[in-house]
Amino acid sequence: MNRLRFLFLLPARVFTAVLFLVPLAIIALYSLFTRGTYGGQSPPLTLDNYARLADPLYLSILARSFWLAGLSTLLCLLLGFPLAMFIARSGRRRHLYLQLVMLPFWTSFLVRTYAWMFLLRDTGLVNTALQALGLIREPLPMLYNDGAVVLGLVYGYLPFMVLPLYSTLERLDPSLLEAAADLGATPIVALARITIPMSSSGILAGCVLVFIPCLGAYLTPDLMGGGKSIMIGNLVQQQFTTARDWPFGAALSLALTALVMVLLWYTMRRAGDHIA
Amino acid sequence: MTRRTFFVFGATAAASCRRTRRPRLNVFNWSEYIARETIPRFERETGAEVHYATYESNEELLAKVFTGNSGWDVAFPSNYFVEPMRANRLLAPLDRSRLPNLANLEERFQSPSWDRNLDHCVPYMWSGTGIVYNKRLNPAPGSWADLWHPRLRGRMTMLDDPADAFGAALKKLGLPLNTADPGHLDRARRELLAQKEYVRAYLNAEARDQLVAGDLLASQLWATTSAQAMEAAPHLGFVYPAEGFALYADNAVILRESRRPELAHEFINFLLRAEVAARIVTESRTATANKAARALLPAALRDNPVLYPSPEVLARGEWFAMLPAPAQRLRDRYWTEIKSA
Amino acid sequence: MNRLLGLYAAAAYLFLHLPLLVLAVFSLNASRFSAWEGFSLVWYRRLLDEPRLIEAAVNSLIIAVAATAAATAIGTLCAYGMWRRKAKLLEGALLLSLVTPEIVTGVSLLAFFQWLFRHLDVRLGMHTVILAHIAFSIAYVVIVVQARLRTFDHTLEEAAMDLGATEWQAFSRITLPLLAPGVIAAALLAFAISFDDYVITSLVAGVDSETLPMVIYGMARKGVNPTVNAVSSIIVVGLGLLILLAESLQTGHEATEAKKAGGRAR
Repeated sequence: MNRLRFLFLLPARVFTAVLFLVPLAIIALYSLFTRGTYGGQSPPLTLDNYARLADPLYLSILARSFWLAGLSTLLCLLLGFPLAMFIARSGRRRHLYLQLVMLPFWTSFLVRTYAWMFLLRDTGLVNTALQALGLIREPLPMLYNDGAVVLGLVYGYLPFMVLPLYSTLERLDPSLLEAAADLGATPIVALARITIPMSSSGILAGCVLVFIPCLGAYLTPDLMGGGKSIMIGNLVQQQFTTARDWPFGAALSLALTALVMVLLWYTMRRAGDHIA
Repeated sequence: MTRRTFFVFGATAAASCRRTRRPRLNVFNWSEYIARETIPRFERETGAEVHYATYESNEELLAKVFTGNSGWDVAFPSNYFVEPMRANRLLAPLDRSRLPNLANLEERFQSPSWDRNLDHCVPYMWSGTGIVYNKRLNPAPGSWADLWHPRLRGRMTMLDDPADAFGAALKKLGLPLNTADPGHLDRARRELLAQKEYVRAYLNAEARDQLVAGDLLASQLWATTSAQAMEAAPHLGFVYPAEGFALYADNAVILRESRRPELAHEFINFLLRAEVAARIVTESRTATANKAARALLPAALRDNPVLYPSPEVLARGEWFAMLPAPAQRLRDRYWTEIKSA
Repeated sequence: MNRLLGLYAAAAYLFLHLPLLVLAVFSLNASRFSAWEGFSLVWYRRLLDEPRLIEAAVNSLIIAVAATAAATAIGTLCAYGMWRRKAKLLEGALLLSLVTPEIVTGVSLLAFFQWLFRHLDVRLGMHTVILAHIAFSIAYVVIVVQARLRTFDHTLEEAAMDLGATEWQAFSRITLPLLAPGVIAAALLAFAISFDDYVITSLVAGVDSETLPMVIYGMARKGVNPTVNAVSSIIVVGLGLLILLAESLQTGHEATEAKKAGGRAR
């Protein structure tokens, strides 16, 4: 019994160890090195790179990343909850409706981000339509700001919120709501007092599933932010390319990963084992 | 499940072992820097197979080739990257006896400041950074200081490159382009921070379409990209700013890791041929360092003041140089600060 | 309330699908710009003229197929192995690989490969990309198959073994066929993720392994481009059809199972 299980686990163990843990260890090592003159890294070992993390400039970028990721998560929750409710209540067609939500997600993230760039440009569809309707005279600058980044993030990760929400809402016992109605509760009250509290594990799962990728986002702020909306992911990428400061980039990467791990651990402690 | 895995792995292995008899050359170049027929013509003449791919920045190139096992044979770094690459032992020395067409280069490119004897590089294309603007603007911009004007709010872009952005600010302040003085850099930083409220975005080639469409009123942009935009839209104009501007040249180099240096030399010599270079710039609308090729161009291209500025204008230009490490780190930090403000 | 929800859902679906629909519609626009100038397939025809695009698409396919096959196999076996026997360390590592930001995974793999290749005479290429894709896909496969396993009744296997089957037979003849829909779903997830990956791939790709997302990103960076619209539409439609096919296979399978169960119960 045990030998087969061991063999089954072996390939996964090897791959994860060699192609994930070892690279992380190398990055951890690099974070202790010093930057070479034109890039690269070498001893002497130093903790300077971590000390640099406390620089207010980088802390402000971290704060901004938290802010944008948090805002996106909140919007996903507000937009996704009613949608999940709708799907959970749609009886036989719920599988189809769920598919319709997941379908954009299956297609390319890059393409979807590009689609928004296409729509939001000054000469894009949204501005053209608004101008044709006479609502605005000059095109609105909708790209290249924090708002565009949030829009891109919400659009990209909304399905991640809807799925766990739907899972918990689907398991909600409808007789509870019937009982509430019998006792005179309006739908709003039922929503606030029953539905939302009982789907708290789904809400938590959804928020975690959205917040974490948003925090480490790279493509969306890169394409939709026009270089003005730097998040941590962009900062890391910069260190490995333009700035050619691998050790500092490595320190940033580890700090970001550690942060994410702490968030996850904390959430899992609070939610038990409901995430999956 | 296991059988399927093996089959797929086998197929993949077979596909990746594209064994061809023909010698192969891997060329890594900037995008839009070659004509459609250049590579096929070279392949026909030499029987080689050329793999051609592009990059968008020197940093991207350096990141790929830094450890010396990228697989590329020929690359085209900008002039200020040649010395760092040489110092990091990334470049192979050139054999001038294999490059007879070197004589086709303009005199000033026969012994440029970044490689006096052309030991490691061969100038290929060159350009400068200036201001492209919508002719609707009255008066038209003529200096970097004009990009710090409220009338451009939200309708102006700067290049997404610390060297270029700081270059503009430094020239506006009347300081040297390649200064490493922390005081100078700090003053430039403050200028750029003050400018940020007018900047729509920090864009490179992406600005071209928006200029053509009329979304932007002015942009800091490379002369070659500006010339391309002006072809598509007559309402655009270009100026090399009065305070001075940055010049750069992209050079062909052979990477030390290359296993086919003879073929690489042949390719570079091929690119130096007058009619080959002329074909390339006719299509790419960039400025060639090749004097013989320029003579073959149609007058509209040959005398284009944007691509080939007059000597008086050229005198105001300064070649980019790599900053010493501490200055570069300072500038990078300031750049991060500006972009995240 | 329900009607409100319905209206809201319609708006939400519009939001989710509109950008892609617009992209597809405009890929058929004869004009480069937003002004509609009539139907035309010119941008699609241009695609055929771009050998780089086609080569990138082929590369993406090869990589996705190879990585999917390997990741699905490894992940399925792993999920099964973890099903009855706890493997805390492996679970932790897989979870970590899920939450680590892509940019971090990408640069760490780049550093790893470059360090490795200093000692071996190999370079970055298709193989490095495939290995990287397998590495980050395994966790997704494990999650999907685990979810399926949770609904699985382990007494079936035990019954089989009581009747004389070996462990391997119990797995391959009983569990695996019943797991099939989950495994297929996992494979499709791995395929979609691999095909679409930009961040990690761009960092570890070599000379001859340019993928479609890399080309699209380069083109998107230069500004809006109808050829990108055309390519994007093809990708969206292609992947979309694939997903729908998989879903119908899965529900079809489940429907057949349900019918059989219903029949037996009578």
